[in-house]
Amino acid sequence: MSLAWQFYISTVLVYLGVDVIACWGLNLQFGVAGLVNFAYIVFQAAGAYTAAVLTLGPAKPARLGGFQQYVGGAHWPFPLPILAAGLVGGGLAAVMGSFAIRRLRSDYEAMVMLVVSLIATSVASNQVGLVNGPNGLALVPKPLASLVNLSPVDYQWLFVGLTAAVCLCVYWLVHVVTSAPLGRTLRAVRDNEQAAAALGKNVTGLRMLAFVLGGVIAGISGAILVEFTSAWSPGSWLYPETFVYFTAVIVGGSGNNLGVMVGALLVPVGFLEATRFLPQFGPPGFIDALQWIVVGLLALTFLWFWPRGVIPERRRRFPPVAEARAPRSLIRTRIGR
Amino acid sequence: MSTPADVILEVADLRRQFGGVRAVNGASFTVPAGKITGVIGPNGAGKSTVLNIIAGALKPEAGTVSYQGRDITGLPSYKVARQGIIRTFQLSSEFAALTVLENLLVAAPAQRGEKLWQAALGKQYWRSSEQASVERARELLARFEMAAKEDEYAGNLSGGQKRLLELMRGLMAGPTLLLLDEPMAGVSPSLARRIEQHLLDLSGEGLTMLMIEHELAVVERLCDPVVVMAQGRVISQGSMAEVRGDQEVLDAYLIG
Repeated sequence: MSLAWQFYISTVLVYLGVDVIACWGLNLQFGVAGLVNFAYIVFQAAGAYTAAVLTLGPAKPARLGGFQQYVGGAHWPFPLPILAAGLVGGGLAAVMGSFAIRRLRSDYEAMVMLVVSLIATSVASNQVGLVNGPNGLALVPKPLASLVNLSPVDYQWLFVGLTAAVCLCVYWLVHVVTSAPLGRTLRAVRDNEQAAAALGKNVTGLRMLAFVLGGVIAGISGAILVEFTSAWSPGSWLYPETFVYFTAVIVGGSGNNLGVMVGALLVPVGFLEATRFLPQFGPPGFIDALQWIVVGLLALTFLWFWPRGVIPERRRRFPPVAEARAPRSLIRTRIGR
Repeated sequence: MSTPADVILEVADLRRQFGGVRAVNGASFTVPAGKITGVIGPNGAGKSTVLNIIAGALKPEAGTVSYQGRDITGLPSYKVARQGIIRTFQLSSEFAALTVLENLLVAAPAQRGEKLWQAALGKQYWRSSEQASVERARELLARFEMAAKEDEYAGNLSGGQKRLLELMRGLMAGPTLLLLDEPMAGVSPSLARRIEQHLLDLSGEGLTMLMIEHELAVVERLCDPVVVMAQGRVISQGSMAEVRGDQEVLDAYLIG
């Protein structure tokens, strides 16, 4: 494989990993717990800024040649910035959840989230001292790059491995939640809040739990992305990006971890990468603008015709008791012998 | 005020209004343990509001609800439920995208693996508790002749089957007091008779119930005592024969 192709493929794989992680987090909130978080991208952004600032080191004043201004710079060793990004994503979710989840019903909650997303972009762009305003942060050092001393293309593959490792950790987290009674209770809350509460379920607590876990996961996905691309600005997390993730979750199969992985492969990666290879036509930026429209149409088409997605939420069946007990009786006969 | 040993629930002087309408205006009554207490009254009498207040879905403006001698007034629904007071809904409230069996499993009280740390410990930690819940749920399904529907999505059930699910799910939660809001509303006469028989059987096993019901013939067969409400107040409490003889009841409900 030529170097150019290796670069391209490894880059796409890292993006895929980031999108898969992000979709798992959104699926936990939306697919499993029924939280319509239209500010999802803000949690990814918070994680990305956190990881960037904690890797860049303290900001240099302009008179000493510093060209970016931000707060709280530090030189933390890998993987601490990524973990911190998860904590910040979760912390932000706890704060936002405490007013949006505790007090509001789902449609209003969705509206509040959308507004929060718009405000957050505006604040990050205009409060230049916070995270360097509209120019964003750049030249974020790559993790481990100074230690491992690899060629650029080998480093790319190292990063793919690192992303895959984080994917596995996040998958473990979403899997233990969704496969346990906890996941079933969250789905019950999604289907009927009042009935769940009447059966002794702390609905607010459960919704907060899903919201915070999703925030942690979104923060981690942002951290991986910024450590890879080395740059992050308000343009990286405009509110339509949230709808790309929603589309991925809906197309893949809301409520199914495997399904949303396929959704991440199809929508943010497959679909948006494929349009790169289209011959350019129309005025400059025409195809980019068209992408948003087509993603929106894709979401609508699936909601209309295949609302449960490519790989729908699994129907949980339980083995008959006799079958479930079989291994136990086998052990008994062995001891008897 | 001390409560006699056989009174499981006592509501005193409950008040609640909605935008100037006094839905409940000083309702007081008691629920004896081990019996089916019926609540009757014309539409708008405040029956459902009282039930919602007891269950914690609404907060009263005044008055108290005490359960087994403890004041539970204004507790949120889930805390009321954890005390053993389980309510069913007038409109079916199934978890539509869960199977029938899963609907029952959700209701299992104090199940393992429902907290994050327990889930993180893996299936080994919660499997045996889950298995016990599945067995209990299957017993209920067999008892209510719904075993064949175990793997069906609850959203696909018929109206009558949803009523049965509602009842089974309430029982799965292990109630000491079951609040029933018109458990036979909108079902066929034959299913209504079946539900009636189930309620009688459960009562025979010692379960205490408080039931809102419109069909007086049903109330007559199942309920003793009967609480009669009109215009937000309790106007009579006693056996069906007693309340039938009450002039105020006749004026408010049975005739007027």
